[in-house]
Amino acid sequence: MANIVAGFGVPHTPVFPFFVKRDGPNCETAKLFAAQAEQLAATRPDVIVMFDTDHLNTFFLDNLPIFAVGVDQTFTGPNDEPREVPDYTIRSVPDLAGHIRREAITAGFDVALTQKFSVDHSIIVPLHFLTPNMHVPVIPVFISGHVPPLPPAARCYALGQAVGRAIASWPSALRIVVMGSGSFSLEVGGPRMAPGRSDGVPDPDWVTRVITYLEQAQTNTLIAQATERQLFKAGNVGGELLNWIAMLGAIGNRRPNYVAPQMQNGHAYGVWRW
Amino acid sequence: MSIFAVNFLCREVLRDHAFRAAMKHDPAQALAGKDLSDAERRALIGGDVGALFRMGANAFLMAYLARFEVCGLNVDIYNQRMRAEKIDELGRPLVLDQPA
Repeated sequence: MANIVAGFGVPHTPVFPFFVKRDGPNCETAKLFAAQAEQLAATRPDVIVMFDTDHLNTFFLDNLPIFAVGVDQTFTGPNDEPREVPDYTIRSVPDLAGHIRREAITAGFDVALTQKFSVDHSIIVPLHFLTPNMHVPVIPVFISGHVPPLPPAARCYALGQAVGRAIASWPSALRIVVMGSGSFSLEVGGPRMAPGRSDGVPDPDWVTRVITYLEQAQTNTLIAQATERQLFKAGNVGGELLNWIAMLGAIGNRRPNYVAPQMQNGHAYGVWRW
Repeated sequence: MSIFAVNFLCREVLRDHAFRAAMKHDPAQALAGKDLSDAERRALIGGDVGALFRMGANAFLMAYLARFEVCGLNVDIYNQRMRAEKIDELGRPLVLDQPA
């Protein structure tokens, strides 16, 4: 059977590839991603399952699933032109992706299907740093985290649990890493941008609390606190935390090896290995 | 609900490079065939992103107008206009405008 061997929480700031190219391998972002890449390589992953919030690029307001799985041999990205990011084609595992979707639906989650799809920076930017050769296949699981109404945190955690069970029931011996992509507090393009910037961190106190809950494995508290109200209080893309919560559901209640914050961006880099 | 059209064309500025160029060159011309209310059209052409926000436009999508510098916007102007908006604790407009 397939085994989940690690959980990762990753940021996906679209301008990071540009900054790292400009500022070199000793800048903070390069080092934080390099540390995670080293941890990821040590897990020898066969497949990455990534919980992600599409930024209205794979889907749009004409057809917006709360949950969806990408099921195909490959997908492409980024489709939203982040600077200094090449066009990638990423392999996937459609039979396992289809199995995850089937098992989640059987468990009561109405998970939409997407095929022949492309993805945006929210999946590609972390992979650009963590698996730049794109040698590890990726299965995206999409959670609607920007446009209200958001799925409840407890529901996202339970989806993660269902995905974890689906992986455990897959007959091939694969080593699976589960990732959650996104910020804890971030406003993009809205009135809570910092002066002169295109983004801002409206609720740094929430970032600190989220990191404490993650470090202490206080998952129930995190879920209880991560109401829709709190997520939007933390910014118009604050719902991206739901991807981390789904990842926690998949890996089970564990303490992380580390959660390294980048407070000025309202996000963190987390590694759970065992 | 033509605010959908506003949101959609914000993303078209990202996706459709010919439309992006047209919006840089002459927004009124580029928007001529679009299904917009008069208020939406006026706000778009004037880069009045605060008014569009009050009509229900998606801020994340409107940021493409600043990123690609159409309708007289850039990051600084966009930032000033959006930051001037009155919002509630969840970042929503305090006053909603009718898109009529």
